[in-house]
Amino acid sequence: MRKYVKLIEMITPAGLAETLLWGVANGCIYILLATGLNLIFGVMKLVNFAHGQLLMVGAFVAYEVTTIAGLNPYLSIFVAMGSVAFIGILLEKFAFRRVRGTEKLNEIFISLGLIYVFQNVATLFWEKNYNIRIPSPLGGLSLSLGEISIGYDRILAMVIVSIILIGLVLLTKKTKFGLAMRATSQKSDAAMLMGININRVYIYTFAIGAALAGAAGALYGILFPFNPAIGALPTIKGFAIIIIGGLGSIPGAVIGGLLYGIAENMAVYLLGGIWQDAIAFALLIIVLVIRPTGIFGQKGE
Amino acid sequence: MDFKAKLVETIRSRKFLYASAAVAFVAILPLFVRSEYIVGNVLTLMIIFALYASSWNLLAYSGQGSLGHAAFLGIGGFASALLATKLGLPPIIGLFVGGLFSAGIGFLIGLACVRLKAWFLAMVTFGFSVIVVTIISQFDTFFGGMIGFQTPTLFPQPQAFPFYYATLAIVAVSIGAIFWVMKSKLGLAFKAIRENELEARMIGINTGKYKLLAFVISTFFAGLAGGLYAQSILFIQVSIFEPYYSFLPLIMAVIGGLGTIEGPIIGSVIIVSIDSFLPLADKFLQPLSPLFPGVSNVGPPLRLVGLGLFLILVVIFLPKGITSLLQKAYGYLRPYLSKVYDYFREDTSKVKKIEGK
Repeated sequence: MRKYVKLIEMITPAGLAETLLWGVANGCIYILLATGLNLIFGVMKLVNFAHGQLLMVGAFVAYEVTTIAGLNPYLSIFVAMGSVAFIGILLEKFAFRRVRGTEKLNEIFISLGLIYVFQNVATLFWEKNYNIRIPSPLGGLSLSLGEISIGYDRILAMVIVSIILIGLVLLTKKTKFGLAMRATSQKSDAAMLMGININRVYIYTFAIGAALAGAAGALYGILFPFNPAIGALPTIKGFAIIIIGGLGSIPGAVIGGLLYGIAENMAVYLLGGIWQDAIAFALLIIVLVIRPTGIFGQKGE
Repeated sequence: MDFKAKLVETIRSRKFLYASAAVAFVAILPLFVRSEYIVGNVLTLMIIFALYASSWNLLAYSGQGSLGHAAFLGIGGFASALLATKLGLPPIIGLFVGGLFSAGIGFLIGLACVRLKAWFLAMVTFGFSVIVVTIISQFDTFFGGMIGFQTPTLFPQPQAFPFYYATLAIVAVSIGAIFWVMKSKLGLAFKAIRENELEARMIGINTGKYKLLAFVISTFFAGLAGGLYAQSILFIQVSIFEPYYSFLPLIMAVIGGLGTIEGPIIGSVIIVSIDSFLPLADKFLQPLSPLFPGVSNVGPPLRLVGLGLFLILVVIFLPKGITSLLQKAYGYLRPYLSKVYDYFREDTSKVKKIEGK
């Protein structure tokens, strides 16, 4: 108990404000991940538990591109997005499509198998680079506003995430492909009758979702040290955010991601690092007990 | 039909014959193996994980796929070990009290879970296992922390063979009970809920009650398996809550055959054998190591990649698991087997007739 009393004495308004800001920055990565998951779930009704592993692959791709090819880390995000999207296409085509329409649990089993495959292939290639970070030219520099300070890397991450999200909203709302995606998500059979090539919509949706995970991975690698085993928790956190934010809505994922990032950072600040994951999951369970469909989720289905 | 007649019918049924043949086979197996190491570390683990996977399978039978079953394995293990060390309870009682404790916690989590859809439930159970780890790591003076502590065993000295038979007896009865649940009216309700919850409610099944019941029964057996597991490896530590242990029963049940009684058992035999015997083949993988500079031992990661691919291939090409292959084989063998069975059955009835006269 004394430990906690000491901790409470250390709390200051400036500290709280800084934690809030950092939480928002961390939340940005979760938003990308959750939006990708949400897109895949909304359109394909597919639960991909290996989504965090795509984040991990994105981080390593960005690392390799930055260190070997000498690319700017912020440009390497695009390389990571492209290559992870390609992996996503392969996954959809050779694994998930095979079990589409069978029992729901089969998708969870396939993604569990994929977790084992990705994590250990990554171990084979990158075990020597344990807990590395992508070297950023802005690393260590931070903007200070009075007592609050925040790294330029985190600010840039927030900007990049906003740009990607705006692009995604434009894609789904303004283009013909976005229309096809929305139609498929509402009723795939009817969409098929309207002449939409469902298989193509599915494969592109999965690729976009995977690309978002790749971008999240590159940003994660710039902000935090990473290793082949980081994938598991972000997936679950992504799902937690979707559940908090409601299935299938991008604004819900944004709000959920921010809330989650802030809650997690607050838990670290107020209670200590070990509570980081537990508090967030406790929040999730409480939300689900009170509202089984999530905060912003609709009734039914 | 009264209970006695039912019992007699059960005992004389074909399934009971096969089950007792299987138990007899497992019971005489150590006599051929003889190695204390293999009996203690491989065969015993197979039996314990068969129970653990069966408990998961029962929950999945009611349409609830848990991703945090390790929480209940660990709670059972910790509870039984702590009861024995702190309160000095005999380990055999601690084992069952640990199971009951786990079922109690399962009841509370089940209360939160019964209203949730498949993936929400998976999330909550996974999240719960993370929370349990955090709480247990917080009080590491009481729970032994990362290093863990020694667990008292059923027998004064840890001996492989007596413990093997004790485990076999407990697990055989438990799996029998799970089988009975699955085949009873209760199991029928579980199945109806799994197939279509709305329709199940329409025909008058109280879905919430039955789902909660599935949770309690499943977590009781998971806790029991946890207690046995802690005793078999002689110590318990926080690592028992790792996601690896949550995914293990799932992988076993899926590879063996989801929703069948023999599936989890077959899956457990396969996965534990892979875990125990495949490391011996690591030296054949060494020629591959120049391909991956910086990796000290290529064996374990390659093996896990293989396991992942195996799981994916089974789900895609053999959705009903290895049991479906066995059922096909049984289809071919059935005429011969039933001859043997009829022979025994006629024989016993003749004996009875003679006795009757």
